[in-house]
Amino acid sequence: MSVLTKQAPGAAATLAAPGGKPGRGRPKRKNQRSGYLFLLPWFLGMLFTIIPFFASLYLAFTDYNLFTEPNFVGLANFQVMFEDPRLLQSLKVTFIYTFVSVPISLAVALLIAIVLNRGLQGLAIYRSVYYLPSLLGGSVAIVMLWRYIFGNDGIVNSALGLLGIQGPAWVTDPEFALSTLIVLNVWTFGSPMVIFLAGLRQVPAMYYEAASIDGASRWRQFRSITLPLISPIIFFNLIMQLIGSFQTFTQGYVMSGGTGGPADSTLFYNLYLYQKGFTEFEMGYASAMAWLLLMIIAIFTAINFIASKFWVFYDN
Amino acid sequence: MKKTFSSPISRRLVLGAAVTAAGLALSGCGGGSAPAAGGGNVELNFVYWGDATRAKMTDAAIKIFEEKNPGITVKSEYQDSGPYADKLATRFAGGNPPDVLNMANRSLLEYAQRGTLADLRSMQGLDLADIPDTIQSRGEVDGKLYGLATGVTTIGMVVNKTITDQAGVTIPDDKTWSWEDYAKFATEVTQKTGGKVYGAGYDVATETGPILFARQRGEDFYTKDNKLGVSEETIREWFQYSVDLRTSGGYPPAGFFEQIGGSAAQSYLAKGTVASQIIPINNYKAYNEAAGGNVVLLRMPGETTEERRGYSADPSMLWSIAAKSKHPKEAAQLLNFLINDADGAAETLTQRGVPINPEVADAIKPKLSKDDIAFVDMVAAIQEDDLAPAYVYPKGASVVADTLKQLATEVEFGRVTPADAATTFLEKSNAAINK
Repeated sequence: MSVLTKQAPGAAATLAAPGGKPGRGRPKRKNQRSGYLFLLPWFLGMLFTIIPFFASLYLAFTDYNLFTEPNFVGLANFQVMFEDPRLLQSLKVTFIYTFVSVPISLAVALLIAIVLNRGLQGLAIYRSVYYLPSLLGGSVAIVMLWRYIFGNDGIVNSALGLLGIQGPAWVTDPEFALSTLIVLNVWTFGSPMVIFLAGLRQVPAMYYEAASIDGASRWRQFRSITLPLISPIIFFNLIMQLIGSFQTFTQGYVMSGGTGGPADSTLFYNLYLYQKGFTEFEMGYASAMAWLLLMIIAIFTAINFIASKFWVFYDN
Repeated sequence: MKKTFSSPISRRLVLGAAVTAAGLALSGCGGGSAPAAGGGNVELNFVYWGDATRAKMTDAAIKIFEEKNPGITVKSEYQDSGPYADKLATRFAGGNPPDVLNMANRSLLEYAQRGTLADLRSMQGLDLADIPDTIQSRGEVDGKLYGLATGVTTIGMVVNKTITDQAGVTIPDDKTWSWEDYAKFATEVTQKTGGKVYGAGYDVATETGPILFARQRGEDFYTKDNKLGVSEETIREWFQYSVDLRTSGGYPPAGFFEQIGGSAAQSYLAKGTVASQIIPINNYKAYNEAAGGNVVLLRMPGETTEERRGYSADPSMLWSIAAKSKHPKEAAQLLNFLINDADGAAETLTQRGVPINPEVADAIKPKLSKDDIAFVDMVAAIQEDDLAPAYVYPKGASVVADTLKQLATEVEFGRVTPADAATTFLEKSNAAINK
């Protein structure tokens, strides 16, 4: 699941190919052709996902238990959801995780991108260094590493110990386990950062030149030039991060050994979906959950699109 | 030079990317593909859970099986128990089950009642003559035999004697000790080591502990008719005992245990930060080796001081054959080998418990190490007395196990009282079992 989710930025990149500012006439058609060529892997992948996609839609209305033939049960799965305390808990965990970590990681990504954009020597190296965590962040090894860093004898608590502070049990205490994962997610700001960096480079230098002649401060330049001009990119990153964190799975699974513990404090929605499907064998319910998640994501995306009219600036 | 700035990312593009990213999640659960069997030769797929040590021993036994049964090759796979359970479910669901497989006690009923497992009594080539009825009954569902114990084990208390000797603490007599004695002992260890070592480090959340505790109190945790039989009071007491032990200092503070239930080498007993632990005693050898070789194996507390004996000789896990196996005859041959062949057992020894065929168990005894003999002897010793019967775990037992784990954490951090946790435990467990 997470592997597929991780493709999201990639898919965005391929989609970006036919976009941008197309030329006129022949080059346009040529652009389109290469655009579709870039899309080809996605189309091929779609062939394999389209069947499970519709199968899950059908199964959402059945009592499928993996072993026996599914029976149609109408909306029963969806009705049960409202009385399922663990489902509500998983929504709570996922919402907290999303609404805390997405704004912070976007802010960090933008900040680092601005710093890197100031013409540093060895930019490529820095860019790679900062991008690396987002390649690794969803991987099992890094989450394991995180467990050790934030473990009772880990470096975080050792450092706090030097300051005379008794650190909490970051991983095993239900009050802290989720925040440890939020920190991990913020740390993987690399992919929005790279996209921000690309966006910042597109902002024409002449705007800043004009502004400094007028005596605008750096902060003023940032607010009045940078932010509006990269607002479509902020919007893009926001949407992608939002969708990505609604679908978080690996971090919660590895950190808690698949349980969502301690005490369901890291029971992400997708982790609960997985438990329902594969450990409790309620695949019908799990499929219904997948479609509920799609609806939730669709609603949040729609809200963002409506809201974007008021803050995203398109100059074309 | 008239050139307006335009963003490289349009609104439509963001929408497209969003739809793509969200849609991918729905198809996240794809299926696997089936490897085809080779011609002429029968290839059996054999899966089990465990670690590298177990795999090495199993491979050696499988080699003997292949030598004794030309024309059958065994393709075996192993994993940790968690991922194993998930993969097994997926393979059955995908219509591509393994032929011979490991089944957990808590999953047997779930699989058996869905018709996914073969009735072992109907299989040719599987000799059950020497297998005691008490063992067979633990794999029976609705009068049919769906699982055979891989071996017999039970739980016990292991104490690191190096630590207690250094601290000058005497280990009570385990034939007669009570839960109170254990608490006193544990608290004394913590005090005399100046808090460097906690006296008790057992896992509150593994169901085998409360199962024995309930039996001592005259209750069956799981009843004969596959229901939950444990009382709210017993669960409350089980939680309360750990809370009191933590308050007195005998048990580590909340959050201390980060990875409970891992291998012996990763255990807190091996690290030397706790002096005692409850383990499935077929693992005694591994714990003793990991913790420095001076670990003693004891009976559980309360066996003579409570209402009745709590012990039972249990399957450490089960073997099953898939109903859809394409080679039922050969699968039965392999299973027969696993339980009745002394040459094979000479390689696997007591890795999965004491062999259930008494002749095989006797035959391998000379090959056992001192620690494994201690384990075998203890399993024999607890069965000298009359023990109350134990039953197959009900459907929903995995939810019960998860619920126990979750509530144990809530109690550990003082988020709920033992009384409230017990109420919730019964509610959730009954709901899962009666569903």
